[in-house]
Amino acid sequence: MKMGIPIPNPKLGMWLFLGTEIMFFTAFIGTYIVVRVSAGEKWPQPHDTHINILAGATNTFVLIVSSFSVVMAHAAMGEKRFESARKWLWVTMVLAVVFLGIKGFEYNGKFNYDILPGRIAETPTQAISKVDRELEAVVRGRLSMYTNEAVISNPRPDDLSTVVPQLQTFHQGGEPAEEMDAELAAEFRQRAATDIELFQKWKTLHEHIVANVSLIALKSAEISSYRAARNELAEGDRLPELSFNEVKAYLADMKANESYGASVAADVFDPQPVLYGNLFASCYFLMTGFHAIHVLVGMILFGLALYQGTQLNERWDNWVENSGLYWHFVDLVWIFLFPLLYIAS
Amino acid sequence: MSYDKHDSHHVNYLAVFLVLCSFTALSVVFDLMSFENHAVTVVLVMAVALAKALCVMMFFMHLKFEGNWKFILLAPTTILALGLPMALMPDIGVAYYTPTAPQQGEWGEQMKEYRAAHAAEHGHGEDPTGDEPPSQVMHEEEHSESTEAYNSSD
Repeated sequence: MKMGIPIPNPKLGMWLFLGTEIMFFTAFIGTYIVVRVSAGEKWPQPHDTHINILAGATNTFVLIVSSFSVVMAHAAMGEKRFESARKWLWVTMVLAVVFLGIKGFEYNGKFNYDILPGRIAETPTQAISKVDRELEAVVRGRLSMYTNEAVISNPRPDDLSTVVPQLQTFHQGGEPAEEMDAELAAEFRQRAATDIELFQKWKTLHEHIVANVSLIALKSAEISSYRAARNELAEGDRLPELSFNEVKAYLADMKANESYGASVAADVFDPQPVLYGNLFASCYFLMTGFHAIHVLVGMILFGLALYQGTQLNERWDNWVENSGLYWHFVDLVWIFLFPLLYIAS
Repeated sequence: MSYDKHDSHHVNYLAVFLVLCSFTALSVVFDLMSFENHAVTVVLVMAVALAKALCVMMFFMHLKFEGNWKFILLAPTTILALGLPMALMPDIGVAYYTPTAPQQGEWGEQMKEYRAAHAAEHGHGEDPTGDEPPSQVMHEEEHSESTEAYNSSD
C-alpha cells in the first residue's frame, strides 16, 4: 500500500511553504482591500501618491517574461539540455535585477516627494504644520554653523532665540570671540544677515501657527509647550490664522528668494494634503517591500544553481523545479499587487 | 515510491506567455479607458488579474496536470486567506456607522479652500469656488455632521 502524497518530498515541502506564503501575502492584500473599500472615494489618487502606472506595468511584464524563462529552464533541465537551462536561468536573474531596478526607481520617487508612512500631511492644517517643521529644520541647519566658538561666543545653544541676538550683534559689526580673518568675517556677516532674515520669516509663520493651533489637535505631551509659547507671544492669540493658500504663497515667496531660496526649496516640500496618504504609503511599502525581499530570495536560489556552472546536471533538477515554483508564486503576488496598488487606487 | 519526474504533458509555454502579455496590456487599456464608474475599471482589471493568475498556476506551475493532492494542500490556506478580509469587511470595510476619524472631519471643513488652491495650481478645471461634485459634498457633509455629533456626545 502506498502512503502519502504522490510527489517528491522537496516538491511537497515547497508546496507546503507556498501554502504559508499564500496566507502571508493574502493577510496584507486582504487588509489593503478592506481599508481601501472603507475609504471609498477619499482614497488617494495615483498622482497624489506619485504612483507610476507605466513602471508598474513594465514590472508586471518583466516578471511574466521571467516566469516564462524559468519554466523554459525547468523544461530544459528535464530534457537534459543543461547549457540551455543555464542560459534561461541567467535570463531570469537579469530580469530580476531589472525588476528591482525599476522598483528602486519608484521608491526613489516616493522618497523625493516624502511619500512615506507617517510623514504625509492628511489635511491642510497638517500640511501647514509640516511646512513649519521643515522650515524650522532648515533654519536650525543654517544657524548651526554660527555655534562655532570661533565665529560667535556661543557654545552650541539649543534655542534659536539665543543665537539670533548674538548673530545680530555680530552682523552689526560686533567682534567674534576669537581673532578672525577680516575677509572671512565680512563673508560671515553677509551670510548672517541672510540667515537672520530667514529666521524672521520662519518665526512669523511659526508664531501665527502657535497662536492659532487647536490644542485639542496636539499630542498631550506637546500641549504645555505650545501653551507656554502662546503666552510668550507679544500679540497673544490675536494673530490671525493663516489659510492654506496664504502659507502656500508665503512658502513660494521664500523659495524664490535669491539668498536663502535654494536652501528652502531643497528641504521644504510644497504642501499638499493627501487624505489617507499615510495608510496608503504603509500598505504600499509593506506589500511591495516584502515582495522585493522575495525577489531577492529567488535570486539567491537561482544564483546557487548558476554557481554550479558547467557542473549543473540532473541532480539539480528538483532545485530548479522548486525554485521555479517559488518564482511563479512571486509573479502571482505581483499580478495582484499591480492592479490593486496602481489601478484600483 | 517512484515519481514521474517530467510528466508527459506538453505545454506551449510561448503561447501561455503571449496570453499573459496580452492580459497585462489589457489591464493598462482598461485603466486608460477611464470608465465613468471607477468600480467598473477595478472589476475588469481584477478579473484580468485572476485570469493571469490562473494561467500561471495551471500551466507554468503545472497544477492543471497535478493530482488531487493540490486541492488537499491548497484548500485550507485558501479558506484561511479569504477568512481575513471576510471577517474584517463588515465592521471596517463597510461600516454601518459613519467613520469619525479626526482627519476626515477636518478634511471636510477645509476641503473647499484646498481644492481652490489645487485647481489654481494644476489647472484641473475644478470650480475655483471649491464646489464639490454631489457625491463628494454628500460625504463631507456626512463627516462634518458626524464629527459634530461625536463631539457633542462627549
